[in-house]
Amino acid sequence: MAENKKYWRGIAELENPELTEKLGANEFADDLPTSEFLGDKEKLESSSTTRRDFLKYMGFSTAAATIAACESPVYESLPYVVAPEEVIPGIANYYATTYFDGYDFSSVLIKTREGRPIKVENNKLAKYNGGANTRVHASVLNLYDATRLQKPLAAGKETTWAELDDAVIKGMAAADAAGKQVVLLTSTVMSPTTLKLVNQLAEKYANFKHVAADALSYSEKLDAIEAATGKRALPTYDFTKASVIVSFGADFLGDWTGQRVSGDYAKRRVPGKDMSRHIQFESNLSLTGSNADKRYKVTQAQMGNELVALHNAIASAKGKRTLPAASSKYAKEMDSIAQELIKAGKNALVVNGANNADYEHVAIAINQMLGNDGTTLSYSERAYFRSGNDRKAEALVADMKAGKVGALMVHNLNPVYSLPKSWAFADALKKVETTVAISQKNDETASLCKYVAAENNPLESWGDYQPVDGYYTLQQPVIQKLFNTRQLEECLMSWTKESGSYQSFLKNNWGSSILGSKLWSEALHDGVFTSNAQPADGAVLGAATNESDTTATANSGTTGSVNLDASANRIKNAKAPKFELNFYAKVGMGAGILANNPWLQEFPDPLTRISWDNYLTISKADAVELGLNNTTESNGAINGMYVTLTANGQKLEKVPALIQPGQAKGTVGLAVGYGRQGAGKVADGVGVNAFTIMNGAHSAPVEIEVMTDAEEHGFASVQLAHTMMGRNIVKETDLQTFLTKPAQSESGDGWNQKPVFETYSGPMDADNANLWDDFDHETGHMWNMSIDLNLCDGCGACVIACHSENNVPVVGKEEVRKHRDMHWLRIDRYYSSETTEETASEEGQSAIDMYADMEEPSENPEVFFQPVMCQHCNHAPCETVCPVAATTHSQEGLNHMTYNRCIGTRYCANNCPYKVRRFNWFLYHDNPGRFGDNYSMNDDLGRMVLNPDVTVRSRGVMEKCSMCIQRIQLGKLEAKKNGVALKDGQVKTACQSACDSNAIVFGDVNNKESQVFKLKEDKRMYHLLEEVGTQPSVFYQVKVRNKRA
Amino acid sequence: MLIMAIAFSISAMAQEIEGDAANGKTLYNTNCASCHKLDKKMIGPALGNVTERRSAEWLVKWIINNQELRESGDEDALAIFEEYNGSVMPAFPGLSEQDVMDILAYTIEGSKPKEAEGDKTAGAPVAVAEDEGDNTMLLIILAGILLFLVILLARVKNTLKQIKGEPTSTLTEDANILTRTALKNPKILTVLTIVIAVVFLQQLYAGLMSVNVDQGYQPEQPIKFSHKLHAGENQINCSYCHYGARKSKHSNIPSAGVCMNCHMQIQEGPKYGTEEIAKIYEAVGWDPEAYAYIEDYEEKPVKWVRIHKLPDLAYFNHAQHVTAGGLQCQTCHGPIQEMEEVYQYSSLTMGWCINCHRETEVQVESNAYYKEMHEKLKEKYGEDAEITVEMIGGLECGKCHY
Repeated sequence: MAENKKYWRGIAELENPELTEKLGANEFADDLPTSEFLGDKEKLESSSTTRRDFLKYMGFSTAAATIAACESPVYESLPYVVAPEEVIPGIANYYATTYFDGYDFSSVLIKTREGRPIKVENNKLAKYNGGANTRVHASVLNLYDATRLQKPLAAGKETTWAELDDAVIKGMAAADAAGKQVVLLTSTVMSPTTLKLVNQLAEKYANFKHVAADALSYSEKLDAIEAATGKRALPTYDFTKASVIVSFGADFLGDWTGQRVSGDYAKRRVPGKDMSRHIQFESNLSLTGSNADKRYKVTQAQMGNELVALHNAIASAKGKRTLPAASSKYAKEMDSIAQELIKAGKNALVVNGANNADYEHVAIAINQMLGNDGTTLSYSERAYFRSGNDRKAEALVADMKAGKVGALMVHNLNPVYSLPKSWAFADALKKVETTVAISQKNDETASLCKYVAAENNPLESWGDYQPVDGYYTLQQPVIQKLFNTRQLEECLMSWTKESGSYQSFLKNNWGSSILGSKLWSEALHDGVFTSNAQPADGAVLGAATNESDTTATANSGTTGSVNLDASANRIKNAKAPKFELNFYAKVGMGAGILANNPWLQEFPDPLTRISWDNYLTISKADAVELGLNNTTESNGAINGMYVTLTANGQKLEKVPALIQPGQAKGTVGLAVGYGRQGAGKVADGVGVNAFTIMNGAHSAPVEIEVMTDAEEHGFASVQLAHTMMGRNIVKETDLQTFLTKPAQSESGDGWNQKPVFETYSGPMDADNANLWDDFDHETGHMWNMSIDLNLCDGCGACVIACHSENNVPVVGKEEVRKHRDMHWLRIDRYYSSETTEETASEEGQSAIDMYADMEEPSENPEVFFQPVMCQHCNHAPCETVCPVAATTHSQEGLNHMTYNRCIGTRYCANNCPYKVRRFNWFLYHDNPGRFGDNYSMNDDLGRMVLNPDVTVRSRGVMEKCSMCIQRIQLGKLEAKKNGVALKDGQVKTACQSACDSNAIVFGDVNNKESQVFKLKEDKRMYHLLEEVGTQPSVFYQVKVRNKRA
Repeated sequence: MLIMAIAFSISAMAQEIEGDAANGKTLYNTNCASCHKLDKKMIGPALGNVTERRSAEWLVKWIINNQELRESGDEDALAIFEEYNGSVMPAFPGLSEQDVMDILAYTIEGSKPKEAEGDKTAGAPVAVAEDEGDNTMLLIILAGILLFLVILLARVKNTLKQIKGEPTSTLTEDANILTRTALKNPKILTVLTIVIAVVFLQQLYAGLMSVNVDQGYQPEQPIKFSHKLHAGENQINCSYCHYGARKSKHSNIPSAGVCMNCHMQIQEGPKYGTEEIAKIYEAVGWDPEAYAYIEDYEEKPVKWVRIHKLPDLAYFNHAQHVTAGGLQCQTCHGPIQEMEEVYQYSSLTMGWCINCHRETEVQVESNAYYKEMHEKLKEKYGEDAEITVEMIGGLECGKCHY
């Protein structure tokens, strides 16, 4: 029954079973009209939507939908809440201040943008040290060093100022109560207000002592000056009045007693009748020696004999008593030098470089005979750049060892690093109960001290200085303190419970004892101040470190009056060692205080052209004797062998040796300031610490042992060619020829002959023999630059100024070894060679032999410095080969480089005859993993130093000198805003304003009144590689040496 | 009853003042408003219903010449002078007695509560800042859980295989096989291609955004500042606030301190009332009640959203265009005086810059800087040629890129 049952799905099925059945069989009621659509070919083709289109649309709409969902990035702009009156965003402010770090002293202007110091400029108002040296120009970067101490430390752990003050005061009181000494150990102190505070501390503690010592000491020299003149202070030198300069090892252009004289020296180096004559006796080849008209190689031990010989030559010519003397190496020359000096009379100057009392006595005697006191040097206007006293420092260490010192405060000095190792300062430090380092870094000394008072950077501090009698400078902070730090004076005020700020203390002290009728704001604005008033409270410089210590004079054998004969006898009887080691400070490193500065580390030494290192400089002859050599790798990188040095009873291992032309035989040189520990990641472990084998004197007998089993050391050198190979890259002549002969002559023997091309239409000069269309250079400005090779002393302040102005990256040692240094401005150094084309043809040498010999610099070469930056050719080879027109020419005579257009083919660099284009091989910024050493581009704090007006270039683009186009544009804009014509001198490039020798002059040659136009018309003017026909906008002035036949 | 009585007495007192409140309002706004508000203390006391506190007669004397009143030794006058630290109210000899009455009438009229408005403010919901929170942590936890699951499943699979006696495989091997098969599958490949294309396009978009190719960009600003009101209706010169534009490369965003120059007095706006202006006070730490800056206040800078942003590779200097070039702000920024909210008017692309440099005439005549150059240019292009920026080198790469 069950199977007969029928169910209907609906009433319709019951009523119309056929239809339901039919529908059930067919899923779709009607056929889809596919055949109708696809079958009709015509219709299909006329349809605008194909399957491909459909996919395209779909893809597009997906993408569009995704993109529409993107949000554009939101950038916030935070204005000031209350804008400081003097700050307009985008406009730089300049503040006059003083830079002093215990070693370098300079009156400077600090350029700040939106409150950030970004550049150091020279203070032209300053009478002394207004030209910042290479290191001071770089010092602005050290402000942003994140490895600076950010908080005070106690036993290596962070603490508060209140706790530190408490502990230090207790420590001092305990020491004083126990009858032990309370000692403040500093570098030279030149500040009258600081000394006032020191005296206040002295009043509080009966056993207080202030000891000053310098990293590179001139203690013995000062002793000699004291014995001879009654005051333990250096004389001031006036090189503008010096017609004849004879220097015995004094590197006064590089690094000497602290007075910066290069600007004054350069004033007398302008070729002409007034040009000075400079004779240098030295053992290391120094910056000063390379600028000398005549340089004699002498060992330091022999130097004294030469000094005595000169003394005797002058004395006998003047009919005065001569001194006992050993034989002079240059007896014959000495007579003519003496004649020159006598002729110059009071305009002559003899300077001594050694920290040796006997030498200084002879030098003083020579100057006295010449009667130059009051002209070229002055004992009435004393300088206080160096006033450290080594005997006192040594006595202090002895006292510390004996447990006589209860509290020691160290400031601006790193005794563990720089004091003689034989004194064993680090051991003695352990015997002092309370040790305090006032330091910016947790460095060699600070890390051994119980308390570390985190110190301000000089740019964050107030201060005053009296570098010279009656001459004062002021220091003002140019930025708020970045960290929780204090300056020495603030510490002293807390420790003496002096209330108020140091700023007001300083201002009050100036108001009461220094300023006189001058306004404080005026003095602060100028940064410098000349006064005759002496500061009150006995805070007179010179007196602070000089308590007329009689043992001083006894030690140097000049009790009461100076015994010259005794000095001469000691000089005569001194034995010359087989090898002597001469310590020196490199232009880029000084005493190593600013070591953690990548700009300075990468700065190539002007002479060796090596960066990121110190090394033993050795003469070729000695190197051959010892079996030392320098090898060159296939990519051109130089390697050197290691030696072990033993001097002053101390050993220094793994010192790489470098053959240095001009190094006196029997001498070697080693720069201090390297081998730091605790200075920061950039400096630590770079080079070796020469201070460990130094003992006060700048010279010592040394034993050299070659480490034959060690690997070779890799140097990072930026210049491989030593000589000019007979080319006229640096044109040179002597003064007589310059004064008497024509620059160009028909016969072709002028001293500044222009290249001439033989063409079908007769001889033509390079300017006319060309295929190019000329640009219009008459309309508007035409920027040119003149570089005077006579005034340039090669110091490299311009290189650092360029670095900081133009955000030039630092690439590190390994990259420099691959010749990938990025300096926009380099200073080429060339040595003269014994072989010239004339000598070769006389000797009948073949061309190959001749050029091979020409590569070798002379034993005692003449040195040439030549700053080379983009020459801004008006027929530029780089412009024509750029496939994307990223480098183009401007109406104003500049060669523009457009970074964002550059695709990095490097054709331009290959086609540049001057090799001034630099390629960004890597991402040098925002790349802390690889280029973290360059903190100016790789950490947030360091980046504050970048110039916001200049692009930071990225990887894969070419860059080069832009002639500081940002400054040109700014200068033009200022003139436009004021509606006046642009005056000559209103636009200065960074290198120009850094050069205190005025070797670089920049300006508009379409302005016929401009200095640069006059220099372009000068007969000394020549273009670098003029024969290439590039018509550069940069030109050079022929170097003229004041030679005597 | 008591309330009634007080209300009556007030109205009774008010009735004594017979004046035209409308005229009073005008006079009040021109003479009094810079120092007085009706409901708040400003430089001077609040004037709302002042007639309740002082007699009309006294007020007339005080307003017309308060110094005379003080000199006459009137105690009330001296007391009020002391209370406001001896800040002198100027005399108004120009006002007639009737004028003063009108003003007083307005002080009564103006301080009557406005019913409609009162409702609005009362009922207005308090804006609650939405705390979106950071969900990165959540994502990391989720990813962690997923990873854990993947590892767990792989182990389970291997255990099962071990039981079955099949060879096991490691996670990386599995992943390798998966990728290889996936790459052979055209469908997966297509999807992958699309994903990559989309990511590429998105990056391109972000790139363009970062160099600000974003015409019409109109973000919401933290303060509903209306250029239409300030620059348009009130005719405040652009460089009053953006003073940097004339001197510097940047046209500065004005500091809140600049706002305070006016808004110390103007504490209420026509559109948003006190709400937006209060944000300025919040930034600088101004207490409008006490009419003083709050001591030791931690200032909070206003976080404006940047609209015009040239990429770092292009150097643009406002002073060059505004001061030296004499351009109006509107040339690049559009009808700013009509913008309630600012948007990016120009495209800010290089083509746009170049085009303007081609067309714009340099004002060589009026600026002595160009004098010599102009002589030369006349030789070159003819006596009355139009000197464009292009002719003086305005198209050279290095003028904007360094």
